[in-house]
Amino acid sequence: MIPRYQRILFWILAGATLLMALVLLRGCEQAREKLTRHRDETPLAAPVATASGTVRLAMANDVDGSITLEDRDLALPDESTARAHALLARLIAEYSYKDSAHPIESGPAVDDVFLLDLPLRPPVALGTPATQQPDQQPPANDLIEPHGPGAQLAVINLRGTFADHHPSGIEPEMLTIDSIIGTLYANFPRIEQVRFLVDGRPRETLNGHADLTRTYSVVNTANKTAQEAH
Amino acid sequence: MIPSRKFAAVLLAILTGAAAIAFSVHAQLQIPMPAQQPSGPASTLNHNLILLDPAHGGPDPGATLGDHILEKDITLALAVRLRAALAAAGFTVIATRDADPSDPLTGDQRADIANRTHAVACIVLHATATGSGVHIFTSTLQPSEDTGSTYPSYVPIPWETAQAASVSQSQRLAADLTSAFTKSSLPVLSGKASIRPLDNLMCPAVAIEMAPLLASGEDATAVTDPAYQQRVIATLTAALQAWRDHADPEAQTVVPSPDNSAQSKAIAAANAAGIAAARSRVALQTTASAQKGPQ
Repeated sequence: MIPRYQRILFWILAGATLLMALVLLRGCEQAREKLTRHRDETPLAAPVATASGTVRLAMANDVDGSITLEDRDLALPDESTARAHALLARLIAEYSYKDSAHPIESGPAVDDVFLLDLPLRPPVALGTPATQQPDQQPPANDLIEPHGPGAQLAVINLRGTFADHHPSGIEPEMLTIDSIIGTLYANFPRIEQVRFLVDGRPRETLNGHADLTRTYSVVNTANKTAQEAH
Repeated sequence: MIPSRKFAAVLLAILTGAAAIAFSVHAQLQIPMPAQQPSGPASTLNHNLILLDPAHGGPDPGATLGDHILEKDITLALAVRLRAALAAAGFTVIATRDADPSDPLTGDQRADIANRTHAVACIVLHATATGSGVHIFTSTLQPSEDTGSTYPSYVPIPWETAQAASVSQSQRLAADLTSAFTKSSLPVLSGKASIRPLDNLMCPAVAIEMAPLLASGEDATAVTDPAYQQRVIATLTAALQAWRDHADPEAQTVVPSPDNSAQSKAIAAANAAGIAAARSRVALQTTASAQKGPQ
């Protein structure tokens, strides 16, 4: 003979189990409805086949302090900013290869590249009448003026980890700067000047030596090879 | 009639006085700040004076060469040895630091000290673990059309491009040093670099960076190697002697005379006063920053 309290306990437990099963089923249905409701039904964009083209990288060499232009076949984006970013990322990546002539630790180096049309003008609030805008112009010596029509300023935002781990010294830091400038010169004829940021902010030096506070002119650094006297 | 004449005379006297005061105030406002606008060229170089700037120091260690070897210590050790060699050759040497202070001078303050000395050569010392041999750099500034000796004394020189007036001399000094290192069979590279405070110096200025000595089939000679350092110091001393003699043929006598010694002491005292003044400016700036901080 089963005691009465045990039968009551059995039926309570059975009822609780049934109730929990119902709650679980309801929860599953709600989760499935939520997933279905937020599912993006947009089809994936079809991959675009970008034809690879020949680009020129200004490769640095620590031993003789030289910069030489070397051709590479790369598939790069068409958009200028993305193209410059990808090209500089490839340039720095080559320096992390084994037996590199200008060794740099591997890792992402360039966070962003911004291409700005010159001359730079201060931003004007939307809706400002044109007659009020000239009064807000800064002095002429604060402007970065172009030397030719259609010139651009490239702002290269480097990663702090890249700068912190870059080999320290005048020669290695200037070679990296000249290598970047030379690569931009060889592939982007509109870029006339370059400024550098690190983690989105101005920084005095790359890693203790090369000045990053100035605006660099984009020139053919391959012709600016250091003179090896011995 | 008489009161009106008196009134006119008094009015004329007041106007004359006011014009004189306005003229004197205007003249005072035209005086440039010495630290921001170094006036006067490096035309009166002291041909017996060398300025050494051991780079980095204090919380700025510079590059790390090997295990626990810091660039600031290498440059300081090199400067101490080079200073002794140059003094033995009859030079008066001023260094921007002769220790490792906790609050080192900024680049602008070092340039400020250098620009007051009118040294015949300003040598900025660096060291690196990359490359081989000795690297010699000059400023990337283009030579100004007016050389330093032709600047009128009243024309202010922009601080950021103060080296432009001397960059031609700096390039000649770099060429002479490069030639000397080549004759000493030391690998040498010369080029241009954008580094501070090179652009702010008003003297023939070069940055000399020592790198390990790489030789094929042999281990690299570290920059801490005493024999390697001695070769570099001996070459630099000889080249700077030739530079001085070339710059001023009458200054070939290198035997320190009592007058020269007195002059050296006076320059050293002035240098110490300049460094003390620069440090006091740092202290004032630090205090001002601390006072602004809690706001």
